[in-house]
Amino acid sequence: MPSGKEELITLKEDLKKTKEDLFGLEGYIEEFSLFLPLAVCTVNPLHIITNINKAFEELTGFSINESIGEALEEIFKKDSKVKNIIKEIGKKKKTLETELTLITKKKKEIPVKVSFSARKDNEGNFIGYFTAIDEIVELKKFQKGMEEKVKELEDSRKALFNILEDIEEARGVAEDEKNKTLAIITNFTDGLLFFDTNNRLSLVNSQAKKFLKVNKEKILKKPILELEKFGNFKSLIKILTEEDKDIFRIEFSPRKGLALELSRVSISGEEEKIGELVILHDISRDKLIERMKTEFVSLAAHQLRTPLSAIKWTLKMLLDGDLGKVTKEQKEFIEKTYNSNERMIDLINSLLNVTRIEEGRYLYKPTLTSLENIVQFVINSCENQLERKNIKLNYKKPDKKLPQVKVDIEKIRLAIQNLFDNAIRYTPKGGQVTVSLKHDKKEIEFSIADTGVGVPEDQQSRVFSKFFRGANVIRLDTEGSGLGLFITKNIIEAHGGRIWFDSKEGKGTTFYIAFPIKKEFEEFLKKF
Amino acid sequence: MAKKILLIEDEEIMVNLLQKKLTHEGYEVLIARDGKEGLESIKKEKPDLILLDIIMPKMSGFEVMEEMQKDEEIKDTPLIVISNSGQPVELDKAQKLGAKDWLVKTEFDPKEVIEKVIKQIGR
Repeated sequence: MPSGKEELITLKEDLKKTKEDLFGLEGYIEEFSLFLPLAVCTVNPLHIITNINKAFEELTGFSINESIGEALEEIFKKDSKVKNIIKEIGKKKKTLETELTLITKKKKEIPVKVSFSARKDNEGNFIGYFTAIDEIVELKKFQKGMEEKVKELEDSRKALFNILEDIEEARGVAEDEKNKTLAIITNFTDGLLFFDTNNRLSLVNSQAKKFLKVNKEKILKKPILELEKFGNFKSLIKILTEEDKDIFRIEFSPRKGLALELSRVSISGEEEKIGELVILHDISRDKLIERMKTEFVSLAAHQLRTPLSAIKWTLKMLLDGDLGKVTKEQKEFIEKTYNSNERMIDLINSLLNVTRIEEGRYLYKPTLTSLENIVQFVINSCENQLERKNIKLNYKKPDKKLPQVKVDIEKIRLAIQNLFDNAIRYTPKGGQVTVSLKHDKKEIEFSIADTGVGVPEDQQSRVFSKFFRGANVIRLDTEGSGLGLFITKNIIEAHGGRIWFDSKEGKGTTFYIAFPIKKEFEEFLKKF
Repeated sequence: MAKKILLIEDEEIMVNLLQKKLTHEGYEVLIARDGKEGLESIKKEKPDLILLDIIMPKMSGFEVMEEMQKDEEIKDTPLIVISNSGQPVELDKAQKLGAKDWLVKTEFDPKEVIEKVIKQIGR
């Protein structure tokens, strides 16, 4: 049994040992907390800081001396969260956690997460908290980044909504435009038909329905060829199917009393063709006016003929001496007047020819004949004119006999006469006119070339127009009605022939006429 | 005895001119100023030749010819039309109604009328 003294010694030694252990443990904890990267402090139940570690000093900037004895809340931003946590500390909870804003010694604000863990003594009495302060700048940054991202997303969502709204609005505008366009199309004064690329009718406006006397429901979506049996479609379909290109102002009449002008244009989308638009323009009124005009000219010309023939006959009888003797001077004047009157008669005759062409009652009696005879006749009648202007005529006769042609002799004579008149009239004195007649299997070609003033290039497209006279010939010669070539062209074309020309201003002009040879011409005549 | 020519024409100056010319050539000239008067004169006077205008008051030249065709006595009287117009259609019609010739006033002159008259009935 050990003695009391021994016991005391043992106890002292134990105590010393325990003290040493304890000291060692404290040192360990101190060292541990010194190197712990987390800022840690201890607070008592009255939230007074009782100890801090190195990391705490570094984070807050407050030294150990400045920290110990201070109230914990002093190092945080004074907001409601701090008040709350202080209240919670009072409730002695086991753990607490909150986010606060640390204010460093240098007054820098740092977002931190503060965690509390309750401390108890040996007897289990609450003695305060271990408090860890964790910097959450990165986290906050991340959070902020997240928030920004969220905001961005929200913004883009809003933007998306805006875009959708804009699109909706644009759709509304487009819808309005579409309705407007449709209203215009529907109420357009021209008839409009639209065929899609499959040649199906996809649009027809009310004017077109009226023109063609059709019911919209029955004809929509129908292929073009099926439309023929509806209303007055027949003549329209004939034109549309015969021609595969764009059509510009072809006249046709779907029924009596209605004259239309048809145009067809290809309609293309951004890249490819989407269909064809057929436009029907009412020209009934224009036709009526045109007819009235023609009738007026015809009537006026007829009325003018009576006094003109009276003048002609009177002058002629004066010249012939039937009404008594006239002096040489008087005779000269009468002759000039007679010639002027003859010009007037020619003009009236040309006007009448034009009105007959326009009324479509010009060609009359086709007779089988040789063009050589007609050309020879015209040459003979021009001899005086040629001689007066000292113009040399070169006639290249055909090397073999020409086949006969069936023509209205009077009209062809007039057509060729007009070409001769022009050649002689617009060729200066001493010039040359070359006439040729030749043929191949299909056609007989007549040509007449002069060394005259030519047709200015910019006016060549109008040569065959009614009342056209070249700017250069108006200065040269005030005579001429501008009707000759119009009449000639109509005569030639009425015979199924062709007429064209080459011309160079100052050098001369060549006119060509091609007649179909009998067989072809008979084919042509069958059409009538 | 001079041959008798009936001139049916409403235009005063034409009448004057042709009358002068024909008389000068030795013909006897009778005048009618419209178709109706003309037809009566044909029936009454039985001329050797008729010069007939087409467009006239009361009765046109064509109507005169149509009426003549109905009358055996006068239907073969030589007739020359003298007109302002000269459309092939008209010419054809006149020929069918017995006209021997057709003159367009603006294209012919009195001298040529005489030539045509002589051709039909001589001097």
